[in-house]
Amino acid sequence: MSSKNNKTIADKRAELSGLLAWFESDQFVVEEAIDKFKQAEALARDIEQELMEHKNTITVLKQRFDQGDA
Amino acid sequence: MYFISMRSYGMESRRVQTYSVSDFLAVLNQTLEFAYPLVSIEGEVASFKVNQGKYVFFDLKDESGTVGCFMTVWQLRTPIEDGMKVVVQAAPKVTPWGKFSLTVQAVRPSGEGSLKKSFELLKAKLEKEGLFDEARKRPLPAMPQRIAVISSTQAAGYADFIKIINTRWGGLSIEVAHTQVQGEGAADQMIRAIKHLTTREELADVLVLIRGGGSADDLAAYNDEKLVRAIAASRIPTLVGVGHEVDMVLADLVADVRAATPSNAAQLLVPDRREIIDSVWQRVRAMAQSAEMAMETLRRDTRHQLDTMAEGAMRAIENQLREVAQSQNTLHAYDPRRVLERGYALVRGDLQPSGMIEIETQSVIAKAEVRDVQQK
Repeated sequence: MSSKNNKTIADKRAELSGLLAWFESDQFVVEEAIDKFKQAEALARDIEQELMEHKNTITVLKQRFDQGDA
Repeated sequence: MYFISMRSYGMESRRVQTYSVSDFLAVLNQTLEFAYPLVSIEGEVASFKVNQGKYVFFDLKDESGTVGCFMTVWQLRTPIEDGMKVVVQAAPKVTPWGKFSLTVQAVRPSGEGSLKKSFELLKAKLEKEGLFDEARKRPLPAMPQRIAVISSTQAAGYADFIKIINTRWGGLSIEVAHTQVQGEGAADQMIRAIKHLTTREELADVLVLIRGGGSADDLAAYNDEKLVRAIAASRIPTLVGVGHEVDMVLADLVADVRAATPSNAAQLLVPDRREIIDSVWQRVRAMAQSAEMAMETLRRDTRHQLDTMAEGAMRAIENQLREVAQSQNTLHAYDPRRVLERGYALVRGDLQPSGMIEIETQSVIAKAEVRDVQQK
């Protein structure tokens, strides 16, 4: 699964983990927190939408397996 | 094609044909082939033996009859031994030596006891070869994109698998090889499907064999030696989910990963997107909590600083007030009126004989004349 900006769900989840780590680290500063939180919310919405939208492609092979060497 | 030379003797009531021995055997075999091209016979195995590592001989018997059987080792897909009940698919034939026998094409154990015995024999054999060793097991890909499935598309187990996998994850490419999953030919079909799916240029990330529950006989195809070896030889990791949780087939044991059921196979393959979405939002909530905690800490620290500052100021004021009070006390102690209060008097004026002085007590001021002054 990858989105329009070529980031996979795994990339986005990693990005989200990075943001969470920032929030829990000593680097946390109130002034940046709101922007980072908005960024995290947008990522979460993106991941949810992408996960729910994607459908699987199921192909039943036309090949027959009832004949030939086993 | 048999060429039959035949001599007829004219007789009054009927004609009797005379054959050569070989011709008669050929005619007999033609008749048998026409009448019984393939028969399925159930019986108990006796006098089982393998000659030269290639040819298998055994008798098939019941309470009142016995028939000899012949087959090649490679046709024997499941181990058998004396006393086992089996079903053979065979063509009846008379040998050039005039012995009637069944040329067996397939044999399978029949009945729970024989199935179990056969399962145990093959299991022991393959275990000895190391086919089930943990060291051979490969992990499934963490997030497969291409999944190859071997199953019957009509099977309930297949429907369960597809339903669960569609619910759990999206964006997958699932290729399905539709095969029989039970009965004669099922194992061969699955083997062909494995070969097809594992010898292509573009391989799937994982190979999945699934089938719903059934009797031991229904699941017997998954105990086929050739199928088990084909799964073991797969170039891509294998996941087998056959039957219910309590069912155990050899395909389960040889697979890289065994799923208890087809639904469980889907669960093992891909994560649940709802769980991921929950965990994603949980992280966002954790961020909000972290931010709130950080803000609270900041507020608490600021309040603490303010409190410390206020306490400092109060302490300084109190110190100053205390110092003022102490000064007041000191001043108070030095006040001459306090001395007068204790009964002393204050003398002012010309302290020499005939000099005039003023004597002040707490309550009066008296004027007096000095009569005499002496040094102490």
